[in-house]
Amino acid sequence: MAKDLQPDLLALVRDPIDPVALVEHVRAAEDGAVVTFDGCVRNHSHGRHTLYLDYEAYESMALGKIREIAEQIHEKFPIHLVAIAHRLGRLEIGETSVFIAVSSAHRPAAFDACRFAIDTLKRTVPIWKKEYFEDGAVWADGEIPPAPLETRAAKPAS
Amino acid sequence: MARHSFAGYNSLVSLSSQTAHVKVFFFGRLKEIVGRAEDSIELPDGSPIEALFSHYGANHPELARYRASLVASRNQEFVAWSTPLHSGDEVAFLPPVSGG
Repeated sequence: MAKDLQPDLLALVRDPIDPVALVEHVRAAEDGAVVTFDGCVRNHSHGRHTLYLDYEAYESMALGKIREIAEQIHEKFPIHLVAIAHRLGRLEIGETSVFIAVSSAHRPAAFDACRFAIDTLKRTVPIWKKEYFEDGAVWADGEIPPAPLETRAAKPAS
Repeated sequence: MARHSFAGYNSLVSLSSQTAHVKVFFFGRLKEIVGRAEDSIELPDGSPIEALFSHYGANHPELARYRASLVASRNQEFVAWSTPLHSGDEVAFLPPVSGG
């Protein structure tokens, strides 16, 4: 957990993300680096022209999993603060869907923590995007989150 | 697609006379298949999540086809499909995640 009085900023939002506000939130006098990740809506997917995306989330669980990521990177890396915002709803091409900012005294920790945060978010946070094309829409291929091992009594449904 | 047996579910009825009231959430393509985002259901106390999924899979064969790619959650934590359910639990069946 963050020991700082100023807490991390973790949010699911429906309005456009303001990257500058997130950077300002994490940077302080003792920091020598702020590393950011700006995830944006691409205009193509698997060779098809994308029109827009629609994100939905299991919001309470997603926020809980984002909090776990923040706790993990504080444990793993000597960072100062982290801000993570993920947007939901319809997003147009070029808009920011997720933004992460990490501050630290020295740059390696901020780079490593930012990379860990986005990689873990994409594997464990229950958010889904639907991709809209000129000729239809599909739910994006995703990653299966790691789940606890089944006990011997568990039977697959099919 | 074969209809799913309710064997696992029914055998639990004899083990427990208690009923669990559970809230269930569907997301992404599962929500489209089932035609609703959430449901409230009663089942024998202690039934595994797998039995609950089989119930919906029996009514929606297309749902059952996605079983291998799904992860279950109880009270907003990823759990094994054998996890028993009790009154007040909140369950979700989660397709592969694609945030970011």
